[in-house]
Amino acid sequence: MGISDYHATTGNWREQLKRNERKTRQVIISFFAIYIAVGLITDTVILSSYYPSAPLSQCLLALITFKATPYATLIMIAIGAISLFIAYAMYDRIMLLGTDSREITPTSAKSLKEKQLYNVVEEMKVAAGVNFMPKVFIIEANYMNAFASGYSEKSAMVAITRGLLDKLDRAELQAVMAHELSHIRHHDIKLTLMVAVLSNILLIVIDILFYSVVFGRNNRRQDNRLMMVIIVLRYLLPIITMVLALYLSRTREFMADAGSVELMRDNEPMARALLKIHQDHQDNAETYAKEYGKTPHEQVRQASYLFDPSTIDPVKSLGSAFSTHPNLDQRLKAIGFKKK
Amino acid sequence: MSTFLIAVLIIVVLLFFWVIGVYNKLISLIEAINNNKRQIDIQLDRRFKVFQSLIESVKKYMDYEKTTLKDVVALRNQAEAAKASGNEQERINAEEGISRVASGLNVVFEQYPDLKASQNVLQLQEEIVNTENKLSYAKQAYNDSLERYNAKKKSFFESMVVGLFPSKLDKDFTYWSLPEDKIQEHEDYTVKF
Repeated sequence: MGISDYHATTGNWREQLKRNERKTRQVIISFFAIYIAVGLITDTVILSSYYPSAPLSQCLLALITFKATPYATLIMIAIGAISLFIAYAMYDRIMLLGTDSREITPTSAKSLKEKQLYNVVEEMKVAAGVNFMPKVFIIEANYMNAFASGYSEKSAMVAITRGLLDKLDRAELQAVMAHELSHIRHHDIKLTLMVAVLSNILLIVIDILFYSVVFGRNNRRQDNRLMMVIIVLRYLLPIITMVLALYLSRTREFMADAGSVELMRDNEPMARALLKIHQDHQDNAETYAKEYGKTPHEQVRQASYLFDPSTIDPVKSLGSAFSTHPNLDQRLKAIGFKKK
Repeated sequence: MSTFLIAVLIIVVLLFFWVIGVYNKLISLIEAINNNKRQIDIQLDRRFKVFQSLIESVKKYMDYEKTTLKDVVALRNQAEAAKASGNEQERINAEEGISRVASGLNVVFEQYPDLKASQNVLQLQEEIVNTENKLSYAKQAYNDSLERYNAKKKSFFESMVVGLFPSKLDKDFTYWSLPEDKIQEHEDYTVKF
């Protein structure tokens, strides 16, 4: 399957960026809404255990109108803020965990190809008007992939595997690096971390609620409806947060692709690079699966990869609602290449 | 009556913060344009230095470069003079001339097979491509920042804030572009071998 199997159009990156910006906003708003809702449910449980005779709706109304202070919600917001602060300060140490990597600078580039890599990143940095240069790493691995992390001078980095560097030409390499740089300038790592941290807090809170309601001593006084809601949420919430997080991840991938076209003002190199990487993963599925499997801590990078390695794993690539990346045809279509 | 007063007060305060927000946003957009304009200068300057050292280093292989070097220096002086006198158009023309010399240099490499194969020349070619790319991306970034500023400045509501502080917020920048006759000339241009 090559580029000739697709109808080439110029694509509309402005429209793509706008659309996915809107989708991101929707996801974030619904995420916060869920967070606040779970906080209020906790507060209602606590409040109704103090006033067992008060009807639920009245408890809820009192909390919303601040007649009763929603302590649990406030505490949850505080814990969320602190955890996010810690996560933002620490995350940059883990991204390269377990890989065999080396930093590339103009002086440490050993070959023309490595110099070229540094050059294209620098060119894209100029095009994006970003006023810092991300660190550039090469990972010694045969599979073709790349990822980015960070959003500031201190933390921004892009990493690319040796396989990708060797198999792409200059323009394709540039498209890939523009994609990665777009993740950095869109501050995607902040969003990913935020959703991950908040979902974990949510799941802990709902677990505590569940056990205290089911096994708590005062469970006879609890309203049955409230108990039902908590039991349903206990099993539904992990799925909802995961689907939301994955939807967000796919949205940000579309945005990074559109950002790459925005920087290069050309959509063909990106399309060629994606097709090449896809084809290469198909051809070497077995060896790559082994190689990915051999690298420790692969899961910290999975969502940030340019190309989702789980597509070569038939079990993991079942449903599109449960994948971190849109599939190849969707991505190509978004940048203006429709399948013939 | 007092609740009405409070409501009005809240709206006034919100409006005040919104105006401050728009003001600060526009200032940062203007400064981004200024910075991106300087970035073009930086890239032009870098290109001149890179080309000078490139030509110096390939001089021993071919005579062509002796005249090329002269061309580049002459064009560069022209550009500098135009910049000093504030003649944007002449400056753009001179810089365009240097770009043509650069592509000429790549053609020259093609004519010397053993030279073409040498690792040094591959590095030089990469350097030329890199330099030219950076320059055009700097121009693109400048135009992009201009687009963002103009869109914000001219959109409804924001334009009212601009009306309040015209001296600070209403700047007139021109997009980096080629003159009409140049565009026509480049459009008609085809490669002949």
